[in-house]
Amino acid sequence: MAKNDDLAQIIIGCKNRDSKCFSQIVDMYASRCYGYFYRLTGNNDLSDELLSELFVKLVEKIGSYKGGSFEGWLFKIASNIFHDYLRGKQRRKKMLDVQKKQIESQSTEPKQSDNEQIDKLQIRLRKLDTDTRELIMLRFYSQLSFKEIAVIRSEPIGTTLAKLHRGLKKLRELMK
Amino acid sequence: MNDGNRENLKELFEKFLDAEQAESCVEDVQKAEQILREHPAPEPDDMLIANIKAEIAMRLPAGRTRRTGVFKQIAYKVVSVAAAVIFLTAIGLRLFDKRGVEPNGEQYASIISTAIWESDDIAAADANLVIFTAEIEQIEDEVLILQLGDYDGNGDSSITELEMELIEINNSDFWKG
Repeated sequence: MAKNDDLAQIIIGCKNRDSKCFSQIVDMYASRCYGYFYRLTGNNDLSDELLSELFVKLVEKIGSYKGGSFEGWLFKIASNIFHDYLRGKQRRKKMLDVQKKQIESQSTEPKQSDNEQIDKLQIRLRKLDTDTRELIMLRFYSQLSFKEIAVIRSEPIGTTLAKLHRGLKKLRELMK
Repeated sequence: MNDGNRENLKELFEKFLDAEQAESCVEDVQKAEQILREHPAPEPDDMLIANIKAEIAMRLPAGRTRRTGVFKQIAYKVVSVAAAVIFLTAIGLRLFDKRGVEPNGEQYASIISTAIWESDDIAAADANLVIFTAEIEQIEDEVLILQLGDYDGNGDSSITELEMELIEINNSDFWKG
């Protein structure tokens, strides 16, 4: 309860444009949000960009937060940012020539930068479809309840439960 | 990750599945989440966090400036509108006052200038008027003498002379002012 009260005070500070309160929010959520973006993109640089964009959006949109689960609100923005990125990626893909498209479609393994250590989980996660991967990461990193996740995704809770169970079961099998 | 806020999974699955299936599903979920815990994602770089905080700090004063700019714009508009309202009100009041001062009766074209009309000293204001007034008074006196029969001879010539004077007056610019 004390934690919730602290968070409420920090959010009030953010609404009053207090940069220290924003810094506290960054400290509290940067790690989880970065993990969410990293597990969805598998790319450090991209995750850096998306995380920066998330907190810039937070500054812009904090006035529209009207109470309720802050994590739910924050991860909804994170989810929207990821979907915007996917749409942009699709647009960029359309602009590439056929040969490049074929090369990309043949390459299933993630690209690895020099300083990037791709772990086994990240490789297996690529085998899941984007929607299932996002659902699993939303559940794991946001720590939201199934009910809250169902609300964010605008789908019945039974659908959310079934998709998540299927996805996690498949991930377990892939990790064996 | 902390499971403290999470609902009772078994209870939740039992709403859709039988107890045995629900138990199995919960086990699948818990084991998969255990895998995720065992493979933590990399942490964001300290430099990245510092940059994000710096960018936020940079954006906050910009937000204030933008807000101030908006307030200034609104203030300028309000002042402009207020000035226009005051100007129009002043003009309206002036017109209203003028209308109130206007005489209710009819206005006539004047054959005598206002300066002469309002003057207390006609002799000083219009010498012609004085001369003609004197002549009229002289004619009136002569007519009065004739009527009384005190006239002393050469009557026809005096009447003729009098008529001549009247014609002269009629033909002069006296009545034109």
